[in-house]
Amino acid sequence: MVTVTINVNGENRTATVPAETTLLRLLRETFGLTGSKLGCDVGDCGACTVIVDGLPVNSCLMLAGQADGREVLTIEGLASMDRVHPLQRAFEDCASLQCGFCGPGVILSAKALIDEIPDPTIPQIRDALGGNLCRCTGYVKMIEAIQKAARDMRGETVETSR
Amino acid sequence: MDKKPKVAEKVSPAETVFQEPSILRDSTVIAPLVEYPIEVVVPKARQQTPAVGQRATRLDGRLHGLGQTGYIDDLKFQGMLFAKIKRAGVASARIKSIDTKEAEAMPGVMAVITGKDIPCNAFGPSLKDQPVLAHERVFHAGDGVAAVAAVTEQIALEACEKIKVDYEVFTPVLDPLESLKLETPGVHAPSANIYQKKFIKKGDIEKGFAASDHIVEGQFRTQMVEHVPLEPHATIAMWDANGRVTIYSTLGRITLGRADIASTLGIPISRIRIVATIVGGNFGGKNEITTEPVLALLSKKTGRPVKSTFTRPDEFIASTTRHPLIMDYKTGVTRDGRIQARKIRLVLDGGAYCSWSETTLSKACILSAGPYNIENLYAEAYVVYTNKTMTGAMRGFGAPQVCFAYESHMDDIATLLNMDPLDIRLVNAFNEGSISPTGQKLQSVVVKESLLRAAERFGWNGKGNTNGGAKLLPKENVNGNTVRV
Repeated sequence: MVTVTINVNGENRTATVPAETTLLRLLRETFGLTGSKLGCDVGDCGACTVIVDGLPVNSCLMLAGQADGREVLTIEGLASMDRVHPLQRAFEDCASLQCGFCGPGVILSAKALIDEIPDPTIPQIRDALGGNLCRCTGYVKMIEAIQKAARDMRGETVETSR
Repeated sequence: MDKKPKVAEKVSPAETVFQEPSILRDSTVIAPLVEYPIEVVVPKARQQTPAVGQRATRLDGRLHGLGQTGYIDDLKFQGMLFAKIKRAGVASARIKSIDTKEAEAMPGVMAVITGKDIPCNAFGPSLKDQPVLAHERVFHAGDGVAAVAAVTEQIALEACEKIKVDYEVFTPVLDPLESLKLETPGVHAPSANIYQKKFIKKGDIEKGFAASDHIVEGQFRTQMVEHVPLEPHATIAMWDANGRVTIYSTLGRITLGRADIASTLGIPISRIRIVATIVGGNFGGKNEITTEPVLALLSKKTGRPVKSTFTRPDEFIASTTRHPLIMDYKTGVTRDGRIQARKIRLVLDGGAYCSWSETTLSKACILSAGPYNIENLYAEAYVVYTNKTMTGAMRGFGAPQVCFAYESHMDDIATLLNMDPLDIRLVNAFNEGSISPTGQKLQSVVVKESLLRAAERFGWNGKGNTNGGAKLLPKENVNGNTVRV
């Protein structure tokens, strides 16, 4: 058993779990944050993507122990009580998600990208989403939404409150 | 406080009823008079309705983006157990014995069941040839042979490894063309491997071939495809004290599912409640039951809710896939490219169980000639058993496979005739009022208009035919099957 303390979405949380527990299972089963999804459990599909210390990570490939002492951002940490994150609003407005299962992973990969490159080009967006599989949409509207969100986050569009 | 909110002047019939009790006795006043026949607005063919082109908000869009959509695996219940299915790992075998004692003795293991525990171990949307868990025979490597319910998924997995199964292994039948031969041993012996056929006959193909200047043959094959929905299959089963089972599942066809669960468990359909939530992708792969009856039995045995999810490998070996097809086309054309006759043979790899093969066979056969006017047509289609993952429903039901074949074949014919592939299609394509191979008179036909519009849009200059020096072929059969895999 290992005891880990992780800052999840701004809150310090501690748990004692079997050593082989992945960060994904820790988030989903111990912390009850089911936004990150289990699609393959071997790091192929990206549905489990979370941001650890600023970098997008397949949480199914990271052990809970490896996340000890780190900052983890999950999909649940993007929106605040007052408003949704510009990425979430853009994905909603552009109807970028269909079944939605890949959504949290894609949105977090996009957030990590925009945090690093505030004005990403389409090839850069494609590259950032390279580890996120989607079987429903064909990605086109996701790219559209990410460009729109990036513009919003740079302050280039007028935000209407929702 | 006598504040009446401002409402429309017209009073609703219900309001009228409450205000005037005497009206209740006069039934003709309550309902507005209806004039018969009721005028129903029927949009004309190709008339654009106001909905087309409008932006609509997806109701689930916001929840998806917030990560709040509750898929089946996100649900948990008090005292919930986890189940794992032990998969055969051999393509064709007879189960001589299953020893579950060591698994049952493991701490944390609450129940173990095998095929013998299933009250009626057969289901299927048409042929009821699929067992819930393998009974005596294993027909494909993904067949479940036992199921374990334990307090953690880890323990369930370990318990599965401790279950000892003694197999008498047989040589599997893997090639559908081998399976087509009558002398090949039946996968589901004593029945023959061809489990369904379909024939379409129109006109006289011999006359058509005789009238042709050129005859072109080709064989086309498509591979087995797995849907890969991002969300794996997931199910949770639990019983209440009234003897009713509630099953949360990614299952798409709930009504059919209830019927299959009722018949496999031998309980009335009224005792079965299925709750399906937003699904993380289906595409046809979640059309039929998988572990639902198994979980129901495990839940009954343990008295606790039981959850099971497919691993990604399970999705490939233990859930339905798209039928591979082997398609033989023979077409006779006159030198202007007009089709005189077409002969088609389709062989569908029907996997270990029928599943949705009958629908797939039917669709594939009916659509196999393509959207072309053909006076003389003969199409024969067979689906055969093989010891491979069961093939079932997947977007298109046979249409995508034959489309690949007939369009590739058309391109081949165009090349050999030194014709523009667009022109040869314009010569043969359906018109308004054309008769389909099965005798249906077609309406709203815009094939040619669409082709021309598309060609214009992407700048088709008519020079698509790259094989400028091809020889025109003589009348006898072309020997040299083009195989496109």
